[in-house]
Parts: sequence; C-alpha cells; structure tokens
Amino acid sequence: MRHASSTRLIWTLLGLTFAAIAVFLWSLSAGAVHIPIATIINTLFDLDGPKQSFIINKSRLPRSLLAFCTGGSLALSGAIVQALLRNPLASPKIIGINSGAALGVLLTFILAPTLNLNWLPVVAACGGILAAAAIFTVAEIATVSPARLALVGIAIGMTCDAAVDFILATSELYEVSAPLVWMTGSLWNRGWAHLNAVWPLLVGLSAITLLYSYRLDLIRLGTAQATSLGLNVRRERLVLLALATLLAALSVSVVGVLGFVGLMAPHIARQMVGGTHRGLLPVAMLVGAILVVVADAAGRALFAPLEVSAGILTAMFGAPFFVFLLLSNTSEARG
Amino acid sequence: MALRGQSSSVPLKISIVCLTLAISCGTLFSLATGGRTDVGLADIFRPEGMARTVLFDIRMPRTCAAALLGVNLGMAGLVLQAITRNPLASPAILGINQGAALGLALGVVLPNTIDLPLDLYALTGALTAGVVTFAISGGFGGKIDSLRLVLGGVAVGAFSYAMVRFTYTLDDDIARSVIRWTVGDITDIRWSETKRLAVWAVPGFLASLVMAQRFNLMALGQASARGLGADPRITLLLGTIVAAALAGASVTVAGPIAFAGLIVPHLAKFLFGGDHRVLTPTTALLGAALMLFADGLSKTLTAPIEAPIGVVAALMGAPWFLWHTIFARDVS
Repeated sequence: MRHASSTRLIWTLLGLTFAAIAVFLWSLSAGAVHIPIATIINTLFDLDGPKQSFIINKSRLPRSLLAFCTGGSLALSGAIVQALLRNPLASPKIIGINSGAALGVLLTFILAPTLNLNWLPVVAACGGILAAAAIFTVAEIATVSPARLALVGIAIGMTCDAAVDFILATSELYEVSAPLVWMTGSLWNRGWAHLNAVWPLLVGLSAITLLYSYRLDLIRLGTAQATSLGLNVRRERLVLLALATLLAALSVSVVGVLGFVGLMAPHIARQMVGGTHRGLLPVAMLVGAILVVVADAAGRALFAPLEVSAGILTAMFGAPFFVFLLLSNTSEARG
Repeated sequence: MALRGQSSSVPLKISIVCLTLAISCGTLFSLATGGRTDVGLADIFRPEGMARTVLFDIRMPRTCAAALLGVNLGMAGLVLQAITRNPLASPAILGINQGAALGLALGVVLPNTIDLPLDLYALTGALTAGVVTFAISGGFGGKIDSLRLVLGGVAVGAFSYAMVRFTYTLDDDIARSVIRWTVGDITDIRWSETKRLAVWAVPGFLASLVMAQRFNLMALGQASARGLGADPRITLLLGTIVAAALAGASVTVAGPIAFAGLIVPHLAKFLFGGDHRVLTPTTALLGAALMLFADGLSKTLTAPIEAPIGVVAALMGAPWFLWHTIFARDVS
C-alpha cells in the first residue's frame, strides 16, 4: 500500500515536472511577438538572432521564472493554511494575507516612492504578517471556530482593501498609475530586478517548508495526538503560519494579488496524490507554478497585442472552482 | 404581536424628528461643501448669480443622489438581511453589486443590437448574481446555510469583478472611467441620473413596505413562516428581486458602493428594534442621513482631491463588518 502510493507520487511528480517544462517553453513563445519553440531552445543556448534573444532574455524569461516561483509559493502557502485551519476553503487571499501585503506595498509606493525595489518584499512581508497576526490574535482572544476565522479573514481583507481604494482614489493619477498596474495581479513589465529581489527568499522558504512538512501531518491528527507525540503544537503552528504568510506576502510584493491560486493548487494536488503532506506539498507547488505560468502566457496570447492580467484569469477560473468546493465540502466547511 | 415587545427602544415620534434633523444637517453639510470653496453655507439661504448655478445645477443633484443612494442601499441591505436571516448579508457581500457592475460592463462593451437601457443590464446582472449566490447557499431548497451564503457571495463577487476587469482591459477608453467608477463615485452626477435613482427608489420602498409583514415572519424561522402562510422561498425570491432592483439602480449611477447596505440596517435595528414595519421607513431615512454625511466628508476629507463616496462608505463600513464578524453570535 505504502509502496504503491510512493510509486504513484514519483510518477505524478515526474509527469508534473515535464508538464511544467512544456508549459514554461510555451509561455516563452506566447505573446505579441510569436516565437517558435525551436527558436527558443536555440536562444536559450545562445544559437539565434538578436531580436528573439532580446525578447526572450530580457522580457519573457524573467517573467516566466517569476510566474513559476510565485505560483509555487502561493500554492505552498495555501496548502499550509488549509492544513492549519483544517478548512478546505482557506487560502492566503481568503484569510486576508494578500490584502495586507498589498496595503503595505501601496503605502510605500506613496510614502517613499524612491525606495529601492529590493525593499519591496520586506514591506509586503510586514503588511502580510500584520494582517495574519490580527487574524490569529482574534482567534486566540475570541476562540472562534475555523469557519468564523475565514469570515474574520475576509473582513480584515476588506478593511485593507478599503484603505487601498482610499489611497488609490485620492492620489494624483501619475502617482498611482504604477501601483495600479501592480495591484491587478499581473506579471506585465516584470524583469530580472523583480525576480532577483525575491527568488532567493522564495526558494529558501519553500525548502524550509518542505523539510517541515511532516509536522503538518502530525498536526493534522489533532492537537491532543500531536502533543502526545512530543510536538509543541502551538509553536509549530506559529512557525508554519509565519512560513505561509511570508511565502504569500513575498509573492504579492512582486506580482500583486493573484486570486485563488493558493486555493486551487492544493486541491488539485490532493486529487492527484492524496492528503499526506510529504507528497502533497511538492505536487501542489508544481501545480501552482503551472497554473500561474499558463495564466500569464494565456493572458499574453489570447488577445495579443493586448494583455489580460494573469490575476483576472486566475479569478475567472478560481471563483467557480471555489463555489464547486463550497458545494461539495459543506460538512467540513462548517468546521 | 410577538415583535411589538422588542421594537422601539426609542419612541417613534422622537426618532423621526431626530432623523429628519440629521437629514437636514447632512443636506446642509453636503450642499455647503465642494470644489468651489467660495460657495458656502451662507449662499444656501440667499443664492445669487454664480452661487445659484453651483448650488442648483451641480451640488443639488449630487446631494439628492447621495440621499437616494443611502435609501436604496440601506433598503437593499435590510431586505437581504431579512430574507437570509443573516446579519452579514448586504448587496456588496452577496456579490449583487459586482453582478450589477458586470451587467453594466457587458451592456457598454457588447454591440447593443436591441437598444436596451443600461439600467436593465445592471438589473439583470444584479438579479443573476443574487440568484446564483442564493442557489449556492441552498436557499431555494428552503434552508440557507449562513457560511455558504457569505463565502458563495464572495466567490460570485470575485468572479464578476474579474470579468468586469477583463472587459475593460480590452478597451482603454472604458478603462479610465471604469477604474474610478468601480470604487463608487458620484462626482459628475446631474439631474438626469438623480431621476433614474428616484425612479427605482420609490417602487422599491413601497414594495418593501408592503412585504414588511412577510419579513417579520421570516424572523420567526422558516418553519413558522410557512405555518403562518408565507412560504419562505417566495419571500426569498420577491426579496431578491426588490434588493437587486435597488442595488442595481445604485450601481448604474454610482458604481458598486460597498458597506452602506451593511451598516445602515444594523444601525436602524440597533435604534428601532426588529419590526420591519418600523424598520423600513427608518432605514430609508437613516441611509439618506448617513450617505449625506459621507458625501460631505468625501468632499472635505482630502480636499482639494475628492475621495469617492464609495471609499468613504467603505472606510466607515469595513471596520464595522470586521467587528461584527468577530462578535456577532449568529453568523455560523
């Protein structure tokens, strides 16, 4: 039994990796200037003309890499949050982390427009952590049910959104045009600088999270059992929550709010390999990465030369998916 | 009546007087403020020359629109809270506002072959969103699940909003106006728009008043309501239509203003108890008063730049919603 599931996991991971590579190559070819796959492979290994290599190296490659990293991080964050809250409907967006990070970044755009790009992740992380801290303070003080916690998260998200709208609507247009583009959950105009600002952190945090994943399985057994197995549940939950928050907030800091990726990816992964987190987390990461790379590339290809934000596409497909989960998971959702 | 006991913590006559006073103050506040700071309180009573034009052609329609928006959204929220028996229900949270926005965006973008008025598109969008949200929550099976209602509304809202953004990425000219419109803005309102609001506000108000007793019965529970001859599913459907009409009209004129529909009914229930025959008129008055003040604030808070009225309403309403999700006993 165990052997069988391991084999399945390995095959799933292999299949997803191939899918990810294929999608990645497609995303390099899709856009206002169509570039054939053969050319891309030549270019990546320095074999082709200057125009294509400029587009691929300067524009599409960093963008696709960024989509890959942030998609994976959001999915990982979503998987952790769902396990911690034992709520299949939870996701970084639903519990307000994304909105908190967005507010933090927007405030810095307005208050310190000259700030170096490298600080953006720090600010976003602060905003996200503050939002998450608020939610879990409420959870501690009022000892609310998981279902109620999702509501509190929505409310905190809406409060942050109200502040974001206030800033956007009352500033001069030239001040907010950059943050406005950034807010919509798009990978447009993201380059190596953005990628360099976050990838070491995202990769590092993801690695730590994957190493930590066995503890999620222990926590899932329930507080009493986990404690009897020698786990300091309270501390573990805090560490895991901090990891989830950082992963989501850092992603938001460079690509804005990409709704529903953190919700969809873990569920799709669960369909593929079941609930053990040792296997679930890497699969979820790959699924999330594929989702965002596809959303980004499709957004470029659909109405080229116009671009549809990746965030719009993920919300268009994610929201019905959320409803589907809601309808099929009612008993669990009640918590 | 069982409800008599819990109604009216304040005598009705006094509260009506207070509300009228509040509306008068709000009207003066809203009229006295604006882009031209030289037209102020004194000119309202002796309008001459340029001040007359500013007051009658620019500020007056906007002030009336703010009041009517308060009436419409407050009533829509009250009706929704009654038919869902859920204190968190409001047009924005159930996705009805966003649905109306989507209907409107489609009406603007799609080639308009049959030449339907835009209001109708918004109304259809609002109604569709409301029906979908209720269907998700299990409302038409006769039992609404509170949590599914709110989460389903959030999903419907997110989907509609993504579609709205999708339509305006396709067209730059629409994008510019839509971005400001999506946060709820009444800066450029003239008499024609105000009239469109009034046209929907009056029948909406009358319908809510007629159905007040049905809503009271809903509060007793689904089974009791059915036993007393008011099928909750019919109340749900009628209420959805009324709320969608009120919210849809507001959205066509001012964009999806969030939270006004949430806090106004709460405030009214807090002040006047739970009887819908009292609540319907008081919510309308309270909504008008609140939005008049919000309009005044939107013009003064960050002068000379205006904060759209929807943003002001959201800043007032979001903390309220947060507080309520934490401490209300009856949400999940």
